[in-house]
Amino acid sequence: MGLLNNTLPDNKLVGAVDTAVGWGRKSSVWPMTFGIACCAIEMMAVFAATFDLDRFGAGIPRATPRQSDLIIVPGTVNAKMAVRVRRLYDQMAEPRYVIAMGACVCGGGPYVKWGYNTVKGVHKIIPVDIFVPGCPPRPEALMDGILKLREKIGREAVFARRNEANTQMNAKYDAVS
Amino acid sequence: MNEQQLHDKLRATGLGGIGELESSARDPFVVVEASVLLEVMAFLRDDSETAMEMLHNVTAVQRETGFDVVYHLCSYSRHHSLTLKVIVAQPEGEAGDWEPAVPSVASVYPSANWHEREQWDLLGVRFNDHPDFRRIILPEEWIGHPLRKDYVYPSTFGEIPLELDAIPLYERDENDPPKPSEPRPAGTPLTQPPSEYSTRPDAGGRAPAPEKKGES
Repeated sequence: MGLLNNTLPDNKLVGAVDTAVGWGRKSSVWPMTFGIACCAIEMMAVFAATFDLDRFGAGIPRATPRQSDLIIVPGTVNAKMAVRVRRLYDQMAEPRYVIAMGACVCGGGPYVKWGYNTVKGVHKIIPVDIFVPGCPPRPEALMDGILKLREKIGREAVFARRNEANTQMNAKYDAVS
Repeated sequence: MNEQQLHDKLRATGLGGIGELESSARDPFVVVEASVLLEVMAFLRDDSETAMEMLHNVTAVQRETGFDVVYHLCSYSRHHSLTLKVIVAQPEGEAGDWEPAVPSVASVYPSANWHEREQWDLLGVRFNDHPDFRRIILPEEWIGHPLRKDYVYPSTFGEIPLELDAIPLYERDENDPPKPSEPRPAGTPLTQPPSEYSTRPDAGGRAPAPEKKGES
């Protein structure tokens, strides 16, 4: 949000604007068309008619990382794929969110001991917002993860100084300017 | 035809280097010398009675004395199958990174192309005169062949960490990079989960089940 990002005082007016903006942001989370392994099948079920993620505004996977807010990492990330995951994440515009879906992506899963080329959790490569465990998780579990992400996005302050981290960041900004 | 008849048929061709039929195994196999492998394969494919149209698997086994390369042939039209083995003995004085070599059968069965690349990728078996001989799944820069008994598990691939307790890339301090971990002994896996969660014998086995209360 440019220069106004977390610079306004935290009063009721700014808070109301933040709530409205947050509602808009959380209701249009655009995931990326991205699947690695078997968890992607469950992810496709979530996008399809039976579970219908479009009820929450996140139903149309975007075809390019530059249009996406959310990357769901569904499937085992191995050494060869980790480079690609990292590049896709770097291509996404901020603010960007990551859901780690499945046991492999949360911490190695069945490959934790003998997986010679498995990255033991995608959080070694990119920062993760929501972990959805399961092998693979039921579509309801992924939907729950996306609802949790919606809550998280809705709580974020866009304009107001709201939390300690924002205050510190603004203090730095004030000192420079 | 059953395996015995197929073996008799093979013997009747007059090719040397065809061993006995090992029918005590669940999947009866014939040990074949590497020098006649292509001729045997071509015969089994072209003969109207054997008519092996398909080579559906090529795999390899590492033993203490060398490598076995195993070929699974089957026939759709005749409803029979046969397993061929080529045994490559490890020469005296060769180190653990010795690479056995057998002739490629991709000129007889094109399906062998990717199977042989997989065996090179995972076990380090060389196939001579292969049309496209390179790794099939692992990156070209990968070091070693992971299904070898003496494989040393890597802790990183380039900058990608592979260990469970590695520090995430985005939390690292550029001025204070983490020290590379000690090279682990050959055959040691990357992580040892707690023994009570593991059924592997080398991790201590499964913990004894807790005693049930209320039963005498």
